[in-house]
Amino acid sequence: MKPAPTLLPTAFLHPAGQALPEPLLALRKQRGAALVDMPLPTRKTENWKYSSKHLKLTDEMAISLPIDGKAGSALAVPGYKVVFINGVMIPEASEYPDLNNILIQRFGDLSDAEASELAGQLDSTLDKNTVQLAGLNSARFEDGLVIRLKAGAVLDQPLFIIHEITAGASGSAFPRIFVDAGTNSQITLVEEYISSGQDAVMVNTVTEFNLAEGANVTSIRLCMDGENVQHVGATGVRQQRSSRFESHCVGFGGPLRRHDLQVSLEGEGAECKLNGVVVTQGTQHYDNHTNIEHVAAHCDSEETYRNIATDKSHAVFNGRIHIHQDAQKSNANMNNNNLLLSTGAEIDTKPELEIYADDVKCAHGATIGQLDEESLFYLVSRGIGRREANVLLTMAFINELVAQIPLEVVRDTVQVRLNHFFDQSFQGI
Amino acid sequence: MLSIKNLHASVEGKEILKGINLEIKAGEVHAIMGPNGSGKSTLSQVLAGNDAFEVTSGEVTLNGENLLEKETEERAREGVFLAFQYPVEIPGVSNLQFMRTAVNAMRHHKGEPEMNAAEFMKLAREVSKQVDLDPAFLKRGVNEGFSGGEKKRNEIMQALLLQPKLAILDETDSGLDIDALKVVSDGVNALRAQDRAILMVTHYQRLLDHIVPDYVHVLADGKIVKSGGRELALELEERGYGWLGIKEDATEASSAN
Repeated sequence: MKPAPTLLPTAFLHPAGQALPEPLLALRKQRGAALVDMPLPTRKTENWKYSSKHLKLTDEMAISLPIDGKAGSALAVPGYKVVFINGVMIPEASEYPDLNNILIQRFGDLSDAEASELAGQLDSTLDKNTVQLAGLNSARFEDGLVIRLKAGAVLDQPLFIIHEITAGASGSAFPRIFVDAGTNSQITLVEEYISSGQDAVMVNTVTEFNLAEGANVTSIRLCMDGENVQHVGATGVRQQRSSRFESHCVGFGGPLRRHDLQVSLEGEGAECKLNGVVVTQGTQHYDNHTNIEHVAAHCDSEETYRNIATDKSHAVFNGRIHIHQDAQKSNANMNNNNLLLSTGAEIDTKPELEIYADDVKCAHGATIGQLDEESLFYLVSRGIGRREANVLLTMAFINELVAQIPLEVVRDTVQVRLNHFFDQSFQGI
Repeated sequence: MLSIKNLHASVEGKEILKGINLEIKAGEVHAIMGPNGSGKSTLSQVLAGNDAFEVTSGEVTLNGENLLEKETEERAREGVFLAFQYPVEIPGVSNLQFMRTAVNAMRHHKGEPEMNAAEFMKLAREVSKQVDLDPAFLKRGVNEGFSGGEKKRNEIMQALLLQPKLAILDETDSGLDIDALKVVSDGVNALRAQDRAILMVTHYQRLLDHIVPDYVHVLADGKIVKSGGRELALELEERGYGWLGIKEDATEASSAN
């Protein structure tokens, strides 16, 4: 007899925060109903096989984190800023323009008509069957941000969305972002996930991008949550004709870090570039699952993910490319390179190519290696210390991707975190 | 300056150096010649501190200090420089960053203040001219996509920047056309100084037309079998190694080279 599946602890089925327009409350309720008998992923669930054991959901963690009125860490950003604390937006800490052609609104401020339009769009970019826990966000979000760029609108500065957890107790946060980028519009969005506090918390995020013809979106996602935060996030992207989506995901490990990134290229000439850098240490776990659907012909996708794992940590990369039958002249290129800095670390990488069109270019490559002894010897033979040589070579592994992040302040933030990682990883050298 | 006494070294349990004795004084230029597989590169690597090679007996001192007990980076900071036969390509680390890190490690060791990026850039541009290397190479990954000759010039550039006490040049002439050979030789000659020793390891004597050594040694099967002046190199060029009872291409050990 098949054992009964493990279900979500029932406390997760009770959303808090009723300050939402009716259509969004109705959507939550509907999504919540689907969770009642949803089995949690186990090691037999293919896309969760390495991560299910790290998913630890208890009734205690189901509680929405209190909104304690803190304004969070004051972060100076060179652009606009929206701050979420524990999954809820803090207008006083946020600074963004009030424009006619770019609407930036929190869910709670939407009219019923606007909320109804949004409710029809939420979840439209993600495949429910493969991003199981996105449904949890849809059932539980208490707040969110919708950004609508009208045709031709260009946001003149990057928009930083700072998601901070300031827990003083266990619990969960469910921030939600929806970006609707109209024809030929342009935006750079930075999502930064950070925490203060040491409590066991789950952050369950969903960010969606809907790109109309010719839209150009750059998304930067920094996953830098605290030591005890389980982060289960998803990003969904739909792209129409000649649109361009560029993603830079940089993540540091935790008890569980999971990011699903799904891109659907639905109009001819659409193009996406997905870069990812993951760094894990201690007993941390990080799992990136990406899926690129080449639905229309003449689309390009370029994906480069690099993992660095040390100590007894574990990184997972699963990259799927699905080229549909009509997607002739698709050009897809996927690379995943991995660096193991210690013998106890583990990296699992799996390219998954499904190609149903006969005139396409689709390439993939995966490597796993250690720091090169000859290179190390060359560096130290010039008087460079061993620790510094290790740092130089480790940075060399990801430099190319860090350098491509288009904002200096983000590169600096990443470098500070990397330096911290190097201090710990190479301290005995 | 450098004193090598009865040095034995092996790699993967196979003995390559079988008792090397060599004294080099400050200001002198020595050339070590020998057929492939004689142990020339092993000697260079052992002096620089590559721990892929195991020193089984013997002693090496630099200015009276035991070199063998020092780590590679300490040797470098105290003035040992090896120009690699096959310089390593390191994509992702810019040549400029690499050289500045090395120069600053050296300055730090001597208690001198570090050079900032602008100061170093100025110095690096000057030195790159000296070895006829386009400053554009400074921005590229270390040796990444460099031709053989460019790599060798990059090695000499590092020697000029680091100003070592003992410069070991491992087959620095190999793979160079005559123009590049001239540039590299000029660089090496610029290194010649009263307080510096140079040890050149080479298969061919043509380098010695440009960099005239004070002494020439012939290495065969892990030992120095003959030493002499400049004229020894010419004699080797003319007569080969056979008259010394040495087989050309001792292939059994060539994998170590």
